[in-house]
Amino acid sequence: MTDPKQSISEREAIEQAKQGHEAAFEVLYHLHKRRVYSLCLRMVSNPAQAEDLAQEAFLQLFRKIGTFRGESAFSTWLHRMTVNVVLMQLRKKGLPVVSLEETLEGEDEAPRKEFGTKDLKLTGSIDRLQLQRAIDRLPPGYRTVFVLHDVEGFEHNEIAQMVGCSVGNSKSQLHKARLKLREYLKFMRAEKAKTG
Amino acid sequence: MTCADVERVLPELLDGTPDRALPAEVEAHVKSCPACSDLVSDLNLISSEARQLAASEEPAPRVWVRIAAQLRAEGLIRDEGPATARPVLVPVPTYSGRRWSAWWLAPVAAAVLAAGSYVISHKPVPQVATQQAPATPVTAPTAVMAAVPPAAVRAPAPQQLAQKSAKPAGARRSEVEPAPSEEDQQFLSAVSTLAPSMRTTYELQLQAVNADIRETQAYVDRNPGDMDARQHLMDAYQQKALLYQIALDRIQ
Repeated sequence: MTDPKQSISEREAIEQAKQGHEAAFEVLYHLHKRRVYSLCLRMVSNPAQAEDLAQEAFLQLFRKIGTFRGESAFSTWLHRMTVNVVLMQLRKKGLPVVSLEETLEGEDEAPRKEFGTKDLKLTGSIDRLQLQRAIDRLPPGYRTVFVLHDVEGFEHNEIAQMVGCSVGNSKSQLHKARLKLREYLKFMRAEKAKTG
Repeated sequence: MTCADVERVLPELLDGTPDRALPAEVEAHVKSCPACSDLVSDLNLISSEARQLAASEEPAPRVWVRIAAQLRAEGLIRDEGPATARPVLVPVPTYSGRRWSAWWLAPVAAAVLAAGSYVISHKPVPQVATQQAPATPVTAPTAVMAAVPPAAVRAPAPQQLAQKSAKPAGARRSEVEPAPSEEDQQFLSAVSTLAPSMRTTYELQLQAVNADIRETQAYVDRNPGDMDARQHLMDAYQQKALLYQIALDRIQ
């Protein structure tokens, strides 16, 4: 299929979309669909829900495109909108957008400390599928912060603002998410070594 | 500095920046402590590999079909735009005397949806699912279910279905692709009058939705009591009807 980027710029597409041109909407969709859908999928770990959320994010974007003045990058605007759509959905479902472990979670839930042990190290590279599976296993609060920071590249102050927590909490959650992922990945690697 | 001290300060220090230098005293401990060295190395590795996951997943074509339908319903799509600035992806149709050729699309779209509903709601639960052929209503389903793409692009089924579909290779869809149904041939013939890139878009969307229908139908045949699968099959038929309807709107 023809790459839409070769035939029309994003800026042109935005201007034409403001006039209600379908093709412009479609170009914008194809330019950003992978990033938006991937973000939704990482955050909810469910393809059907991710499709619905991506659809809702694009619809919100297109409904408001007339207000886009270009002060920020279009992609930044869209991705923030997508995050808000996903977070709203998580809140509606009663899932924590940020973990409450600082006040409520017991020690059992905390990642296991492994100081002084000389067990498996995640040397070399990490299999992408395994990493994705490990992310899917994270508790929703950890997953949100990890996806937003390490996958999507948001800063802690942006995350704190979006999810409604402190910057320190965001950093703490990210660290614990990484520790949990390390634990999961090492477990998966050990299981694979046993069976394979 | 101890391992516990390192653990305490790491959340502040590992911000995902590659090769970021640690403070001297932390660095000194990490260099002398294999456990902390492995920990820092692993956490940096996880962070850097995670970045590669961004934008790695492709949504099913049906997502755009639904968005376009909603934009039309809300009146946000107002016209076809200037021909000169039109993107190649969806060019302005330039034909003028072919409106008569799409008259059949509306009843076909309705028939597809009705047929899907019929299959899902009336299909008897087979006594021996592996031996009994699926019920075949009079209307389109047989043809619709036979419409199979060359599998170049397939819509991913929801995770639940995908997991349920994880059967032995022999139980998965046939390697031999059936010929397009009569309705699909008409659809492809109609959209062939459109500009090449637009035609390709419709062809790929038809392929994807047909693949989705076929795989889900096969699953429902094996698991007639699975209501989630039946609902997904109904959704797939609705997607196909919607695709026909959108094509109708554009051709007219």
